[in-house]
Amino acid sequence: MTLQQSAAVRARAGRRRDPGRLMQETLMIAPAVLLLLCFLLAPFLLSFWTSMSNQPLVPRPTPVRFIGLQNFVRIFNDPAFWTSLWNVTRFTIWVLPVQCGMAFATALLLHQKIPCRNLLRGMFFLPAITSMVVVCVIWGTLFQYPSGPLNQIVGFLSAGHIQPIDWLGDPNWAMFSIVLLSAWQAYGFQMIVYLAGLQGIPDELYDAARIDGANVLQRFWHVTMPGLRPTHVFVLVITTIQAFKLYTQVAILTQGGPSGSTETVVHYMVRTGFEQQKLGYASAVSVILFVIVLVIALLQRQLLRRFDV
Amino acid sequence: MSDIALPHVVVAERSGKLSFRIVQTVCIFIIALIVISPLFMLLIASLKDDRFQILADMGSFRAFWVSNPTLANFKEIAHFSGELAYGRYLFNSLAILAITVASGLVVNSMAGFILAWGSLRGKVVLISLVVALYVIPQESIIMPLVVMMSRAGLTDTFAVQILPWVASPLYIFLFYQFFAQLPKELYEAAEIDGASIFRIYRSIYLPLSLPALATVSILMGIESWNQYLWPTLVTQTDYARPIAVAIATFFGQDSIYWDRAMAASVLMMLPILALYLGFQRWFVSSFVGSAVKG
Repeated sequence: MTLQQSAAVRARAGRRRDPGRLMQETLMIAPAVLLLLCFLLAPFLLSFWTSMSNQPLVPRPTPVRFIGLQNFVRIFNDPAFWTSLWNVTRFTIWVLPVQCGMAFATALLLHQKIPCRNLLRGMFFLPAITSMVVVCVIWGTLFQYPSGPLNQIVGFLSAGHIQPIDWLGDPNWAMFSIVLLSAWQAYGFQMIVYLAGLQGIPDELYDAARIDGANVLQRFWHVTMPGLRPTHVFVLVITTIQAFKLYTQVAILTQGGPSGSTETVVHYMVRTGFEQQKLGYASAVSVILFVIVLVIALLQRQLLRRFDV
Repeated sequence: MSDIALPHVVVAERSGKLSFRIVQTVCIFIIALIVISPLFMLLIASLKDDRFQILADMGSFRAFWVSNPTLANFKEIAHFSGELAYGRYLFNSLAILAITVASGLVVNSMAGFILAWGSLRGKVVLISLVVALYVIPQESIIMPLVVMMSRAGLTDTFAVQILPWVASPLYIFLFYQFFAQLPKELYEAAEIDGASIFRIYRSIYLPLSLPALATVSILMGIESWNQYLWPTLVTQTDYARPIAVAIATFFGQDSIYWDRAMAASVLMMLPILALYLGFQRWFVSSFVGSAVKG
């Protein structure tokens, strides 16, 4: 405490003595501050203003008017928006158990004392560094209808009882297909987060449980799971936020179709903003997206606080 | 405990455990191979010349085997001008990545250093502002940003794909955290010796921050490499088009040239894969690092 105070006093004295130093500090932090102001804070604040105007994408002779909350009213009256919101919710509900479950299971397997652990971890993590565009090329071929690899596997496993599925062309299947490829691409990240979480649980806890006669399942329920609570919260929140921002794979593979079954909030925003050129309207969608992300992030903070105490 | 009392039981138990381990390891390897098999399939398919054969092979084990590998697909697409200028797109992506990461390291590390050790007034406010800004997703600022950029006449340039993503709250915060946990004595000793704050940053703290530099390089690099939405909105011609956007155009055609798309995808994977194989441990720890602090 006293050390800190004396350092602070000296720093303050130094500042008074030395305007050159202050100058230098300002110059060092200025690039970051300027860039953040121009490319993050400014567009962010601007999006609130634009969302309450009728601004088009390309400037027109008619002046841009302030129209209050009209854009929001129109969005909330547009069934396509609710479809997109429902779709990303649906996507989240499916992708959470698939992706996090896969990640958790692999992490548990890799946490054992097995040979070539690093090699295996590297293999499992490989899809996570693969660009989504490349993932779309790969899965675009896997999803081929009617005789692509996935349909062959399904046909083989069901001994021909299940008809080939039009993975991306059938409104009932399209979102599920997007879930599959998204989970495959991203679960490696959650896996290493879980691995880090597992490594954070002290061995003494397991030893103590073993001495108390706890079996494998009991140790899992009473040592592993409680120890991973913050990790679970983090993984769930990150995955949920990512899921709500779903865009690339949908834009490339389905363009929101068939019949709107894979339309997402971000895709809806880009479509209204750039295809229909309604910038104000699209900005209002982006504000809504921000509010959703913010709420999830705040929820995480609340949950973490509850678990950490 | 039973080691002493009943050695033969233990041996049996151990060999049982050993065989269990072997089975377990084999199982995990099989799962891992299944998981990465699509990537392997991509590589194999890119070496096949006939795009209809590629699709026909997909449903069988021939997807993992190529009898007469050829680089014809790569030769076909890796031009630097014309319709299939994937050489150029790859170069564009690499240039954008290199400049973004290099300038990002300088800008974010300097800011993080000042936040950790500077004596500026309002430092605490700045730190909490950086944390708050981290919540804003890229997707929710691009609408006004596109308009700002086109008014500034930056559409279809390299600058428009680099400038907005150089400074980032996450990376500033990662550097801030890293610098702040280095011992204070380093700073004080250098200050007593009369070193300027830039000198202290440049000659003392920066050389010590290799882990932070590696983490931020990898995260920034992957982020820049995988950008898709932003470049689709701000590039129109070949001039600065990155390879991700170019590959996506394969899907716009009526009949997809899978052979070319596969080759272009392999082209896009190679640089990252090479880096990943070289620095795997760094990659993994970087992603963990970004997560724990998130």
